[in-house]
This record gives sequence, C-alpha cells and structure tokens, in this order.
Amino acid sequence: MKLDRISQKSLPWVYLFILPSVLVFLIFYLVPIVTVFATSLTHWDGYNAPVFEGLQNYGRLFTRDSFLISLRNLLWWSVIAATLHVGFGVLIAFLFYRRSTGWRAVRAAFMIPNVISAAALAMIYRFLFNNDFGLLNGFIRIFAPNFSVNWLFQSPYAFWAVTLTWLFYAVIVTLIVHAELMSIPTELHEAAHIDGASEFQIAARIDLPLCRYSIGTSVILAITSRIAMYEAVALTTRGGPGDDTMNIPIILVNSITDLNYGFANAAAVVMFLLGILTLLLVNWLFKMNKRGF
Amino acid sequence: MQKGTMFVVTALLLFGIALPLFAGGDAEEQADGVVELVIPHYKAGQNVGARFFLPQVERFNAAYEGRYRIVIEELPQDGYRDKIKQLAQQDRLPALIEGADHIWFEDVMVANDRVLDLGPWLDEHPEIGSLLIDDAVEYNTQGGKIVSLPFAVVRPIGLFYNETLYEPTQRIGAMTFDEFVASLGDDRIAFMTSENAWTTGLFLTSLIMDEPGGVEMLRAGVVDKVYDYTGPIWLAATTKLQRFLQDHATLNTLGAAYADAANAFMSRNAAVIANGPWMVNDFTPDAADKWSGGFSGEQVRGDIYPGNAAIANVMDYNWWIPVSASEREREAALAFLEFMMQPDELEAFMLAEGGTAPKLDVSPDFLEALAENPILSDLATAVNADTAFSVAVYDVMPNSIANEEFGKQLPKLIDGSFTPAEFLAELTEKAEETRM
Repeated sequence: MKLDRISQKSLPWVYLFILPSVLVFLIFYLVPIVTVFATSLTHWDGYNAPVFEGLQNYGRLFTRDSFLISLRNLLWWSVIAATLHVGFGVLIAFLFYRRSTGWRAVRAAFMIPNVISAAALAMIYRFLFNNDFGLLNGFIRIFAPNFSVNWLFQSPYAFWAVTLTWLFYAVIVTLIVHAELMSIPTELHEAAHIDGASEFQIAARIDLPLCRYSIGTSVILAITSRIAMYEAVALTTRGGPGDDTMNIPIILVNSITDLNYGFANAAAVVMFLLGILTLLLVNWLFKMNKRGF
Repeated sequence: MQKGTMFVVTALLLFGIALPLFAGGDAEEQADGVVELVIPHYKAGQNVGARFFLPQVERFNAAYEGRYRIVIEELPQDGYRDKIKQLAQQDRLPALIEGADHIWFEDVMVANDRVLDLGPWLDEHPEIGSLLIDDAVEYNTQGGKIVSLPFAVVRPIGLFYNETLYEPTQRIGAMTFDEFVASLGDDRIAFMTSENAWTTGLFLTSLIMDEPGGVEMLRAGVVDKVYDYTGPIWLAATTKLQRFLQDHATLNTLGAAYADAANAFMSRNAAVIANGPWMVNDFTPDAADKWSGGFSGEQVRGDIYPGNAAIANVMDYNWWIPVSASEREREAALAFLEFMMQPDELEAFMLAEGGTAPKLDVSPDFLEALAENPILSDLATAVNADTAFSVAVYDVMPNSIANEEFGKQLPKLIDGSFTPAEFLAELTEKAEETRM
C-alpha cells in the first residue's frame, strides 16, 4: 500500500512518538525476558558469570516434590479462580447492571478490599483465621465450644484458608464484565421484551453470551494472577505447613535466597510459559477471536 | 500540531524515559560540607535493637557534628539481608552494613574483592585491635584481609524465665534437661513457627548441645554448613523438641511470629522464652507498653540452657564497608566503627544488651551498673569456665532452610503429621536441593 504525501511526511514523527514505547518495552520487558530465558540454562549466583549447563535446572525443577505440589496447587487454584472467583465477579456485575435497590452501597462495600494492599489483607486474614482469637473460630465456637483449628497452619485446612484470602475479591472481574454489559445495545433487550422474554432469559440468553470476551479476559486475569500469586502465600503460610500451600513464586524467591538465580529463572520461565498456555487455551475456549455482535 | 511543539513533546517523553536510567545514588556530601551516610538498617522503629543503636547513632552524630552524619533508613529485620543483596546487584550498597549471609558474602563480595580490607585501619588503631576476640579475627581474616570488623563482645544467648510463674530448684544452667523438664511442671515455653522460628530454633540448638558430640557438630558446621540432618544427634534432639512443642508450647505457637512469642512471655502466658540478652530492653520500665496480664520486667530472670550450655557465635560477619563507598564515605564509616569500639560505648552496649568483652578492662562504674541489672548479672554469672558455647542451628543451615523451611515444616512436627525422622528427612531433602 502506498502512503499519500501527508502520511509519508509525518512518518518520522510517528516513529518518534512510538520510540518511547519501544524503548520501554525493550529495556523493561524484552531484555529481562530474554535474560531470564538465557540464564535459566545456566548455573548463576546472580553476580558471578553464568555457566551454561543446558536443561539441568529444568530437570531439577521437574523432579522436585515441592514443584510438583506447586503445580497441583496451581491447577486447583486455577479451576477455582476460573469458576467460583470469576463466577462471583460476573454475578455481582449482573446485579450492578440491574441496579437493584441498594446496589451503590453494595458496590462501595465490594470495592473497598481492592484498595487495601495485599500485605494488609494477608495480615487481616492471619487474625481472622487465628485459632485463639480469630473471628471465624469465635463464630464457630458459638455452636461448637471445643472447636479448634489453626486454619493457616494445619493440614488440610491451610490450602482452603489461603484460597479464601482471594476467592471473593473479584472487583476486576466485575468492572470488566460490567463495562461490557453497559455496551450491549438496548435494542436487543427491547426486542427480547417484545418477544416476551423474562429478565432471567435476557440475562442468560443475551447478556451472558455477549459478555464472552470480558469473561474470557477475566478468566485469563484470574488464572495468571494465581500463577504469579506471591504475597497471599508468603505473608500467610509461606508455602506451609510442610508444602501444603507451596507455589512456584515461593520456589523462585527461595532459590534467589540461596543464590540459585539460574534455577529461579527456570521457575520463572515455567511461570511465563504457563501464562502463555493459559492465554491460548482461554482464547480458544471462549472463541475470543470471533466477532460478537 | 506544529513542528516545534511536536519536538518539545517528543523530547520531554524521551527525557522522561531516560531520567530514571541515569538517576540513582544519594548525594553523599551536603551543601554544609557534612558527609551524610544513609544506612538502611533493621535496628530502628519497634525493633528491639533500636533502643541502643539509634541513641548510639545520635551520639555519633553529636560527636562528629559538622563532619559526618548518619541517617538510619528503617528496614524490617526479616528482609534486611535480602535488601543488601539486591543493593549489591545494583551496585548501590550503603557505606556501612552489619552482617551478611555467609555464602553470599564469601562467594560474591569477598571473592570479587568488593569488601574493604579493614586490616590497615586496624593496624593504625591498635587500641581497637587489642579488644577483638581471637576466634572472630581468625574467622574474619580471609586471604590476608580483614573483611568485616571482628567482634569485641560476645553475647551468650540463653533463656529468660518469669519467676512468678516458674521457680527453678537451682540455676537452670546447672540442671540436666530431665531436671529442667521436671521442674517445669505445667509451665509453658514461648515457641514460634513463623519467620525463622527463632525461639524454637534456639531451643533446638540447646537440645543438640546436650547430645554427645552436638557442640562439635555445630561448630564444624559454621564453615561447611550442614546439609544432612538425619544423624542420631539431630534425631535425638528433634524427638525431645517435639515433646516440648507438644507438652509445653504456648497455645499460640502454631503460626506465631517473634512478636507473638515475645507477647506470650510478656503477658504471662509463657514462663520461659529462649532469646539473647538484647531482649533485656523489653524488660525495662521504658518498654512497659508491651506488658500485659500483670507482667513486669522485675519478674524476669535470665540463665543459660540446661547442661551448662549457651549459644554464642563470634565466628560471624559483623560491620563491613563495601569498596564501592567513596573516600569520604569510607572516612565516615570508619569513624563510626571507631566510635562504636570506644570502651565507654562498648560498656554502654553491654549494659543495654548484655554480653562480655573478654579483652576489655571494664571500669568500676560498669561493674556497679551491671550489678544493678539483675537479669544481666544473672547472665554474666551463669557462665563459668565449664560452660559449653556453640553456634545456633541457623548458623549451620543453608539460608532458605534456616529462614524458611525450618519454621514452615514445624507445624507438621507439632501436630504429629511428621515424626522427628520424617521432619529431618524433609529438611535434608530441601537442604540438598539448595546445593547446586
């Protein structure tokens, strides 16, 4: 395609304006990603020159019990995130969309946890789940006075306690889905009403399918957040008790503590590839490259 | 958009990107000619070490007013060493650093000549050199260089007990562990599992020291590190630890951080806590806001561990200066080290945080003041010629085992999911994984 004279004249300016973004991408994204991939094939203490050792780090990683447990935990957390977590966020988005009585108050309450830092939330949950004075056990003891469970430090409860620290914080999902709901043409709803469709039928047969992209995006975000989840685990159980709540970011950070940067970067590469796999899988499942309406 | 405007906008965008790449580093010399050292350190805020350290920094700033000034930037104790490693990677180390992870310090900093040799400075200050403990000097001398300031004060780590809850029949250091258990009755010990499980790890160390060959094994592990915990000494000590954890631990032990363990002791929920003499700061009236449940610092006594054992490690890295510090920064940093090593500062340190300086002729005022502090006197008199000293288990374990895995696996030892042998096998497996 041939550019017209004005377009050709402004081409240098276009490149100049793109340059900052390209530089940012190269310096802060591409170079580190390439470095991580390259050094994952080396023995590297983070300071001295890396020594190439092929796929040994990956061999060690995939034979490590804690890594296999991390993968199992990630699989469970991903299933929970893609179903319950996203489902809850979508439900709230639909409630907001209907503007039922008191929806503004609910919206405010729903948004508040999102402005609290992950570290503060983790501390709140440490208190909430405390066996001696935690709110949860205090409530349960009203009905069962001798009840005693250390939710974050006892098998098998720790996994579920950690899950609860993020399960209902689905504000991002709600915002994304709500935005897409708002963009649905009202003519579709009017036509459905004329055809005698109920509100539930409109929601289930029209709104939900039309939110396919935003729900797909939410599933991607929810799962990739679980792949990269560090604070929620590090500030509560640190992967324990034993390896019950272990995940790949904890393995990565522990390896850095032991100056095994090459190994840590192998874990990072696995996280990266899992993220890409999630992206492709959800794109395919939700047919996100096909037109909606 | 006009060409000029577009050019300005583009230039600003590029400048915005480039700025962080060239920024960095604190201005060391102020307009008034004072060299200011910004030192990130954990002995600040609510940290127990802040009570002595911060006033000491203030005394230094007053003594060197117009020349040097030290500003402390607060860091959590848990992340201090990791932060130092990160700063080293960025080549932005502060001019003064206290301690280091052994393997990292040796393999990265010392091996690459990134640490200032304190030897010439000590040669110029024989009055300081004469105070340093021989073992510490030997440990800190690597390749003919003194890589960090060797210790002049040794601080035996033992335990504290509340005499209104627990009355030992004799000095605890003079008891056997069996006698100690018998005397303990139903009393509780402030254990913990979070962070690095510090108080629990100290107690385990004392149990290892009580085993034949335990002290020697720990001492040998300082240099080579211990990766195998399946031996009989570890097994016997861990078996006893499990019993203590199940029978004598405070109710909040599972998931307890240091603050929780200390709180259990300072609220009379625990009769005993294993810790170092720096904790005496929490037993002075100044710290009364940390007390509850009728606790008072006057109820506390100090002692060493049953079997006449104490934990002390002078084979460690102390204050060091990176070679990346400028000439003026080095001067200021060395001035601070010199200030800290003055006899009156060492005495003030020992009165605040306990310990003994074997090569220092202490003043009569110091002895008088020491006698007025019953807990420090307890600790000072508890040690005798037969006392066995050893490093702690943390000094012989790889970093992630000491700081993460040990505490993380403890809940399973407590609730019986792991037998002691399984617990140790798990730690051994994790330790082996760190060896690459």
